[in-house]
Amino acid sequence: MTDITLIVNGEEKTASVPPETTLLKMLREDLNYTGAKLGCDVGDCGACTVLVDGMAVNACLMLAGQAEGKKIETIEGLSTLEEYHPIQKAFEDVAALQCGFCGPGMIMSTKALIDQGEDLTKQEIKDALSGNLCRCTGYTKIIEGVIDAYEEITGKKVPEENPRAA
Amino acid sequence: MVDDVKTKEKEVTLESLRKADDNLRLPTVPERTLFPKEIGIAAAREQTPAVGQRATRPDGRLHGLGQTKYIDDMFFPGMLHAKVKRAGIAHAKIKSIDVSEAEKMPGVMATLIGSEFPVNSFGPSLQDQPLLADDIVRHAGDGVAAVAAVTEQQALDALEKIKVEYEELPNVFDPLEAMRDDAYKIHNNESNIYASKTIKKGDVEQGFADSDFIFEKTFTTQMVEHVPLEPHASIAEWDANGRVTVHSSLGRITLGRADISRVLELPINRIRIIATIVGGNFGGKNEITTEPIVALLAKKTGRPVKCVYTREDEFISSTTRHPFVMEYKTGMSKEGKIMARKVRLVCDGGAYCSWSETTLGKACILSAGPYNISNLHVDAYAVYTTKTMTGAMRGFGAPQVCFAYESHMDDMAAALGIEPLEIRLMNAFHEGSASPTGQVLEAVVVEDSLIMASERFGWKEWQK
Amino acid sequence: MIHRGKGIGCMWYPIGFTVLANPSAATVKINEDGTATLLTGTVETGQGSLTVLGQIAAEELGVATDDVHVVSADTDTTPMDTGAIASRTTYVTGNAIKLAAENAKQILFEVAAPMLDVRPDQLEAVDRKIQVKYFPQRCLPIADVALQAQFVMGRPAIGSASYNPPTVGMDPETGQGKPFSTYVYATQCAEVEVDDETGEVDVLYMSAAHDCGTAINPMLVEGQIEGGISMGIGFALQEEMLFDDNGLQRNPNLTNYIMPTSLDMPEIDVDIVENFDPTGPFGAKGVGEPTAVPTAAAICNAIFDAVGIRITSLPATAEKVLKAIKEKQFGEEQKALPAAE
Repeated sequence: MTDITLIVNGEEKTASVPPETTLLKMLREDLNYTGAKLGCDVGDCGACTVLVDGMAVNACLMLAGQAEGKKIETIEGLSTLEEYHPIQKAFEDVAALQCGFCGPGMIMSTKALIDQGEDLTKQEIKDALSGNLCRCTGYTKIIEGVIDAYEEITGKKVPEENPRAA
Repeated sequence: MVDDVKTKEKEVTLESLRKADDNLRLPTVPERTLFPKEIGIAAAREQTPAVGQRATRPDGRLHGLGQTKYIDDMFFPGMLHAKVKRAGIAHAKIKSIDVSEAEKMPGVMATLIGSEFPVNSFGPSLQDQPLLADDIVRHAGDGVAAVAAVTEQQALDALEKIKVEYEELPNVFDPLEAMRDDAYKIHNNESNIYASKTIKKGDVEQGFADSDFIFEKTFTTQMVEHVPLEPHASIAEWDANGRVTVHSSLGRITLGRADISRVLELPINRIRIIATIVGGNFGGKNEITTEPIVALLAKKTGRPVKCVYTREDEFISSTTRHPFVMEYKTGMSKEGKIMARKVRLVCDGGAYCSWSETTLGKACILSAGPYNISNLHVDAYAVYTTKTMTGAMRGFGAPQVCFAYESHMDDMAAALGIEPLEIRLMNAFHEGSASPTGQVLEAVVVEDSLIMASERFGWKEWQK
Repeated sequence: MIHRGKGIGCMWYPIGFTVLANPSAATVKINEDGTATLLTGTVETGQGSLTVLGQIAAEELGVATDDVHVVSADTDTTPMDTGAIASRTTYVTGNAIKLAAENAKQILFEVAAPMLDVRPDQLEAVDRKIQVKYFPQRCLPIADVALQAQFVMGRPAIGSASYNPPTVGMDPETGQGKPFSTYVYATQCAEVEVDDETGEVDVLYMSAAHDCGTAINPMLVEGQIEGGISMGIGFALQEEMLFDDNGLQRNPNLTNYIMPTSLDMPEIDVDIVENFDPTGPFGAKGVGEPTAVPTAAAICNAIFDAVGIRITSLPATAEKVLKAIKEKQFGEEQKALPAAE
């Protein structure tokens, strides 16, 4: 067993875990941050997506020890007592989530994308979310939610695309 | 001085708590959920009348905040983790199961095999499926034993120490071969065909004789998995009055409760199933899987037991969509009217019946398509094979037959030189049409949907 | 070269179980401030049924969606329900809830009638008020009546009911009968691009017109249609469980079981066909499964339109499509050859 200290959503948390523990297991089982989900445990589904130093990462593929000292952001840290995070608000308003299991992963991937500060197109949004699987929604309303959140946060507009155009 | 003492006391307490923690495996910090004090109610939820409103979902808000507790997010004091050993062989007789090595492994609190269930069979129509195979294994994902241990890893390690001796039996993978009289009988019945349905309406032979053209084609579809993002999960806990509470991802809790009552020989009012939060179902979570297993393991150990399917379990051990072989023969008039249709459906019914009878029944009725057909004959069969069991998956056979009858329709349209939209409008149900089973249909809007979808598409104007 | 094609898929689908009883029961409790709690045994699997069922109860009680709190899926505390299966929840459970709400509301009408100097059957519940039909100015807030009912008259407004769709058994020889109470109908049209050098099929656009009777919550109906289309695309083009010669699955994981990601989704235009089913709650039927039914057909017909090949076995993977294209090209070349001497 090793003592590992993680900085999660700005707070220091320590737990004693076997050295082979993944970041996902440590977050969920030792620190009680159950937002990130276990969907496949091998990095295929993205349900465990958290941000490590601003980058969207599959927490099931990272050892807890590797995340020590890094800035970890999970879904639990997005909204505060005062403010409903725009991404979560947008998702609620357009009914982007159905069963919700992919939700925390999708939202964290979205945050990483928007935080990069670049101008986004719809295709780029689809690319960024391609590592987050969803079986319920067909991604359509999720992408609407991402666009609404992006426009709200940055004030920029996502250009219209027409895939049918020749 | 006092502070020193207090610090020492605190350290000692923490130390003893940590030791206890190894056994309890509880999170070391209590949960703190942060959410905005005031979010407000969405306007649509405040409107009357309520029907027709684009009301937002209160559960949707919690999903987005990450506050929803799915079963794998629940922890109970003293909770153990269970895993199930899968056969790894498609068809075999179990000669012996030896769990003694597994029982000695660190952290293992109990093991379970099929013969320990009072009644080891269940199923929504035929009770042909064991909870844990104790005599014959009929597909590679069949469970043969289960282990409850303090950590998931310990449970998985212990599964590898369970020794099972198998005597291989002949495999039967192809449903068409399995239908033959000389095929190996997977369930010791007279035939591997375990369900059949027929629809007969009018006179198909006369209908074919009256047709200007006859078209025939065979279509096949593949085995597909629901892939709910949340794997099957359940937690069982008993109280001193012999009542078991099962938290489960089951979609049919009344049936599940009746099943648990039957297999554990418990009165129904001693069983409580709670299935408030599920991460996707699509038909794959509609019958019991691990619920009785965790219930018995919880009884044996006196502790709550949780079992969550791995993603591999989801593929090899949960129900799938039936592969279909569909033979269509349709007689058409040269104007494009369907005069007669004959369909034969063979459903690959997998190792156990599960929802196959329902699937068969629906597919049989739907196979003619939403079209007015006076002369119809449909025969449908569900056949055992030694592959993953096939059950209910979004559509119960409808996606398969729709692929067939609509592809068939376009083939015929092309051959007759009739436009695909036109040929459908010509034959579609209208208000008062008779269904394949002779039912008078009302609130029929096939034509409306054809016109609406094609207009929205820009069907008539569309250029390549 | 890239070829474009259009295809249509049309379907019908039943609501509820085939012939067999599949009842749902529900209880509605009106609280003393006019809000309500709904107890239903159904299971919310993500489709939004609890929101829709709450809307049905709210409509019947004359209150807003947010006034109804929905409790579900506990065999100790909620009444039996056959389950979230066969697209039956809105119709069967919805009808049970509507009936239960009527029963609870009836108690309020009986308490309100003397307060308003009319008979109970002259009353209706609208806009959080109990008012006299055709003379709405004579009314009371629901909260006042609910308080009166529980604390003055000693009659808490609780109503329970169950519903089972009426069916007629099917003849074992001919299958004739009335297996379902109602059906839904839908059409989906697909526009695809097929690359005749790789066999890859890209679905660019789909229009979907679905009947669900009355759409209790159109936003959630759209979500079901979009989700169903994604499953249909997977079924048509990608997903397949593969077995080896020993009957073991070759791809029991998400790395090798290909299913749709955000990159595979087309633009979708959803239309809800106007319809009203008199046997459903406020005219509603259902929508969960039908959404995944016609997609594969529309896509395969679009492939046929694009490159003239008929896929007869799903999934229409790039290998299969390319092979069929090559066979067709070869066949055409053979036909074009001059006859051998």
